Amino acid sequence: MTNPSSSASGAVMIEARGVEKWYPNGFQALRGVDLTVRQGEVVVVMGPSGSGKSTFIRTFNALEDFQKGSIVVDGITLSNDVRNIDAVRREVGMVFQQFNLFPHLTVLENLTLAPVLVRKRPKAEVERQARQLLERVGIHEQADKYPGQLSGGQQQRVAIARSLSMEPRILLFDEPTSALDPEMVQEVLAVMQELAREGMTMVVVTHEVRFARQVAHRVVLMADGQVVEEAPPDQFFTNPQHERSKQFLSQIA
Amino acid sequence: MERSVTPAGWQRLRRELFASRTDGLITLVLLGALLALGGGFLRWALFQAEWAVVRVNSTLFAVGRYPLDQQWRLWLLTALLAAATGLTWGLLRGRSCPRNDQIAAVLLAGLALAAPLFLQLSLAIQARWWLITALLLALRWGAGRWGDRLPQGWRRWLPLQWPLLYLLGMVLISGGLGLMAVRPSDWGGLLLTLVQSSFAILLCFPLGVALALGRRSELPLLRWGSVLYIEFIRGAPLITLLFLGQNILGFVLPGGLAPDRVWRAAWVLTFFAAAYVAEAVRSGLAAVPRGQMEAARALGLPVPQALIHVVLPQALRVALPATVGQFITLLQDTTLLSLIGLLDLLGVARTVMANPAFLGKNAEVYLLLAVLFWCCCAALGLGSRALETRLNPNTLSAARA
Repeated sequence: MTNPSSSASGAVMIEARGVEKWYPNGFQALRGVDLTVRQGEVVVVMGPSGSGKSTFIRTFNALEDFQKGSIVVDGITLSNDVRNIDAVRREVGMVFQQFNLFPHLTVLENLTLAPVLVRKRPKAEVERQARQLLERVGIHEQADKYPGQLSGGQQQRVAIARSLSMEPRILLFDEPTSALDPEMVQEVLAVMQELAREGMTMVVVTHEVRFARQVAHRVVLMADGQVVEEAPPDQFFTNPQHERSKQFLSQIA
Repeated sequence: MERSVTPAGWQRLRRELFASRTDGLITLVLLGALLALGGGFLRWALFQAEWAVVRVNSTLFAVGRYPLDQQWRLWLLTALLAAATGLTWGLLRGRSCPRNDQIAAVLLAGLALAAPLFLQLSLAIQARWWLITALLLALRWGAGRWGDRLPQGWRRWLPLQWPLLYLLGMVLISGGLGLMAVRPSDWGGLLLTLVQSSFAILLCFPLGVALALGRRSELPLLRWGSVLYIEFIRGAPLITLLFLGQNILGFVLPGGLAPDRVWRAAWVLTFFAAAYVAEAVRSGLAAVPRGQMEAARALGLPVPQALIHVVLPQALRVALPATVGQFITLLQDTTLLSLIGLLDLLGVARTVMANPAFLGKNAEVYLLLAVLFWCCCAALGLGSRALETRLNPNTLSAARA
């Protein structure tokens, strides 16, 4: 379905080196994590809960800070400089486990809010683009409804469309299907698969093995705040090298 | 009324009130007690009470010592407020006229007819109340019927009539722009109560929101400043602060700058209510999931825009009932102004009752006060409920469709 070797030549979009993070209570969530993501690549991050995988991808758009190491996203070095943080957030979209749609705005307004306020684009043009995006994720008839009137799967597809409305160069997915009823998982994965086919750079935290096998270029296994193993999906799922990987795969199988 | 006469209604009454012999007995005893109390009250109010005390002092209760020849300004303001109310009411409802609205309209018309008549006010004043009420109801009807013919742009700006009306009202009341100045010390009665409470309500709200945000801020100075302010105000009785305000502002601010006694009290009320509003808003902020702010920030919205467009609209909707409750308390707290020598409703009432001509007429005066305050608080409560339904996304979508 995909061709892992074709992506290896793309420009580097995310470069994380030796990232370490402590929570204020002294707990070390990340213990020197390295990761390189190239343009058009789909990287799936797996691992047991508490392994730091969500925390790690949330550092890419500065929703979490870190104390040691360096992260460069699309040429912008993440630091405490607020202007850098705002610049990175404009390039990086994020889809959350709990959707986090704005319940007081309609579906369409959810999509148009940021482009109008942040990119200062004309409202009519943004609305036209938003309707196209909704069509792309298959919910254009629901544009004038409120998020609370949609099913979980529809809400998550709106959330994906909302993050696309800012035309990001990278999309982060933080367990996008974990809060969904089983019958709705597939409709969300299908949208994500479509995005991957169109060449979107994606980092996905998920437990969906089938998605990882079919779509990912690389699978990263994290445990205890460290990257344990990093391999193409075929190799990772059929012939894991590390003890922790074998243990994890036996648990989710 | 009609509904309870239907067979189903009778059955329900029987089931709920006369299920057993004991139940029936309790119902009858309570009914008898209610009738006796209500009858006694009505007998007193209609035959024994001497309402002359209200008739003679009606102007005093309404506006205090406001100069007689300038009172047309207040009538004009009342008429404008009635017009704005009718217009807003009609536009909100559109063509539909639910049972609640019919009841409210009948009650309003009945009150305007009966109350001045009962108090035997002069014919000129009776006629004014009739005209003002007729204006309100006519605009409510007209706006409901033809409101949708107004251009969309017009309708969008119509809510602006309220702040404009407020500013105009302050000019009409205090003078300026060619009108003769009326000093705040001459304001009194219901007028003073309403000016004080509306001023405090309008200003304490943004102040309270700012304090609530400050209390949740990541900047220690801002956070501790807000906490200190809120806890200090909430730890002191309002009456102490009112006395403090009267005395201390004169020392702190150089002579000319210190506001006069009425405005000093208004500012103290504002700062007092702001601390309580801040706590109500804080509970609203706590009800908004953290993910909302994260999602807004992840989309590239800076913190102020994320607050204004995403977090605050949700938080304020949650905080609305508690905030309006605070406003109602504030309205009632204005009675404390009588203790610092201002002639608000209670202050006027005390001077009237001290007049030897009206000795022993306390019950009539206090009942009048209770009714007036109840009307104001009920209006606030009704407005808040209408706003709540309007801000609820589930009813919103139905209204827009």
